[in-house]
Amino acid sequence: MSRRRSSTTTTTTTTTTTSGGGGMGGGMGGGACYIYPAAPATPGLVSADVTYNLNIDMQIPLTMDNGTTVNMWGFGSDGGMGGGMGNGTFPSPPMRVNAGTIVHTVLNVQGGMWNHTVHHHGIEPADHADGVGHITWDVDGVYTYQWRPMHPGTYFYHCHTNTVLHAEMGMYGAIIIDPPEGPGTLISGKVTYDQEAFWVVDEIDSRWHTLPWDAGTCGQDVGLNRLRPNYFVITGVDGSGTSAMNNPPISATVQIGQKLLARYICAGYHPQHIRFGGLTGTVYISDGRELPRPINVTELRAVSAERYDIIFEPTQTGNYIVTCDVLDWITGKVLGTVKTNITVTR
Amino acid sequence: MIKRRDFLRFSMAGLASAAAGATGLVAWVPRAEAATINKTFYITEGLITQITGEDVYFMGYSSSSTSLNIPGESFIVQEGDSVNITIINTLGTSHSFVIDGQVDSGTIAGGASKTVSFTAKGYGSFMYYDKINSPYNYMCGLHGGMGIMPSGRSNQLYPGSPTFVQQQFWVFNDIDPAWNSRVQNRQTPNTTYTPRYFTLNGLGGRPPGAPGHGDPTIDNMHDPRSALHGHIGDRTLIRVMNAGKCMQAVHTHANHMEWLTSNGKNRSDIWKKDIIPLDGNRGRIDVIYPFEKPSDAYPPVTKGTYPMHLHTEMSQTAGGGFYMFGSMTDIFFE
Repeated sequence: MSRRRSSTTTTTTTTTTTSGGGGMGGGMGGGACYIYPAAPATPGLVSADVTYNLNIDMQIPLTMDNGTTVNMWGFGSDGGMGGGMGNGTFPSPPMRVNAGTIVHTVLNVQGGMWNHTVHHHGIEPADHADGVGHITWDVDGVYTYQWRPMHPGTYFYHCHTNTVLHAEMGMYGAIIIDPPEGPGTLISGKVTYDQEAFWVVDEIDSRWHTLPWDAGTCGQDVGLNRLRPNYFVITGVDGSGTSAMNNPPISATVQIGQKLLARYICAGYHPQHIRFGGLTGTVYISDGRELPRPINVTELRAVSAERYDIIFEPTQTGNYIVTCDVLDWITGKVLGTVKTNITVTR
Repeated sequence: MIKRRDFLRFSMAGLASAAAGATGLVAWVPRAEAATINKTFYITEGLITQITGEDVYFMGYSSSSTSLNIPGESFIVQEGDSVNITIINTLGTSHSFVIDGQVDSGTIAGGASKTVSFTAKGYGSFMYYDKINSPYNYMCGLHGGMGIMPSGRSNQLYPGSPTFVQQQFWVFNDIDPAWNSRVQNRQTPNTTYTPRYFTLNGLGGRPPGAPGHGDPTIDNMHDPRSALHGHIGDRTLIRVMNAGKCMQAVHTHANHMEWLTSNGKNRSDIWKKDIIPLDGNRGRIDVIYPFEKPSDAYPPVTKGTYPMHLHTEMSQTAGGGFYMFGSMTDIFFE
């Protein structure tokens, strides 16, 4: 299946009109541009080893440590029972499969309300399974993405319709690809671990969280060039206070002699600087690819959508505070910080 | 005060057409002997109408006195070549032509011309730019890319590097019209930098249905200077540089990139990444896009079309909206 064919002469703006949506937290758009609702048949569809049924939830309240609630969008799991309105979470439900597994991501979208896609970031499928809206199609109805991940590591999926807004609104979830041995092994025959922590660090500009799903697509200046975050989250909780402390699997408690695998995803748009509170970790994989030589680190700098898989083998007891600064993409100034902890016991 | 009507107004189409074909995907044939390379750039200025209808002031190292090329034509020379660059400054303000570690023209007064000569030293990817009134002049468009191939090598960035079969340049920029307007009026920008437009090789994206979609002189998804075309095995070196102030995250679909250098330094190990950081303020990276079969397709595929875009998603917009009208291009598996 080819992508939407280019035309060098067309100037037609394809428009979908939203209906209702006043109570749906984001469905208030008056029209979308350069969005192509469709749900074609999936080429080469075979039986899946694992299926994830996702729907859409545009009303996910996230309460910050100061008591403020910010509305998030996300994917929910509909259990394959149909229905496009979700019980979504922030972050969206994780996907976890062994390498070599044929996976179906079945996305169910109520296209009369809005359009969305699933892009499995870092996964490299056929273009019709890549989920890039606008230049292919934006799901209206039910579409099945078929893919077979071959490289163990940490990835994430996110919506790729009006991506600048939808990913910032929280429409993403982790993808973990395990080697054939399954959880507990990072690299087949080489690297194992005893526990896992998940550090998915993101920033939120609450001004953006009042915008409709199609904001700006017809050229309105809705300020999507300016991300001025006022909240900072880690794996779905406010990371600026205490919510992420002693809160596994964000935090972790390990014994000396155990190995902790931290899966770090830079899920925001601004650069980040993460420090491990005095612990030294070993990076074995980044962006789903094994490094030629692992590197030992006490801190890392990352940019949007980078992932690092880091093994810690602490040798001294203590409470280690992991901090991650979110830095302005222009000035480098610290905009906010999230923190969690690793407790090491005997 | 320079009046707006005194400026040439350029359409995006007029802009890119002057440069189109100058550098697309290039296969390099090494020469046994060093050569003499002569080039002429005209420093010109004008207004470029953005997708929003907003006219924005730019300056460029252009191919003629009547064109405005943003960025200037990217070019490749060989280690040891004698390079003569003639700069004809058609403007009333002073400018310069600098390649760090290679050449510095010093001040070229308004209305003056100067020829600078240098022997290409070493190898790698460089930005040429105007060092005067830094960073404002080069952010307003006075920049371009230069590559130096190692002597006797047709397929390596540096001796011993991973090999490639073709190469090209991705020159990114971010633009705050308020800053450009101040430069136009010979004033120093005095507002907080707030970029509103984001370009690759001077152009923004045009998704299907948008005016100019598919026109290689308007749409950076189809600009031959930017889009990647290849069959399986057509490993492509991309010399990536950033004239803007924003730190970016370069993201390719379908294949991970092989990350060779950052800011002119060879990396000790070649990592395979789907995201690579690109510093603002003339940051540089060199990467190879391998054109391998997308590893996770089932059934397997060898053809398809995928995007490259910056994952700092604000850079995918224009004028505060218009998602997918920013810094991106397409990758064609043919």
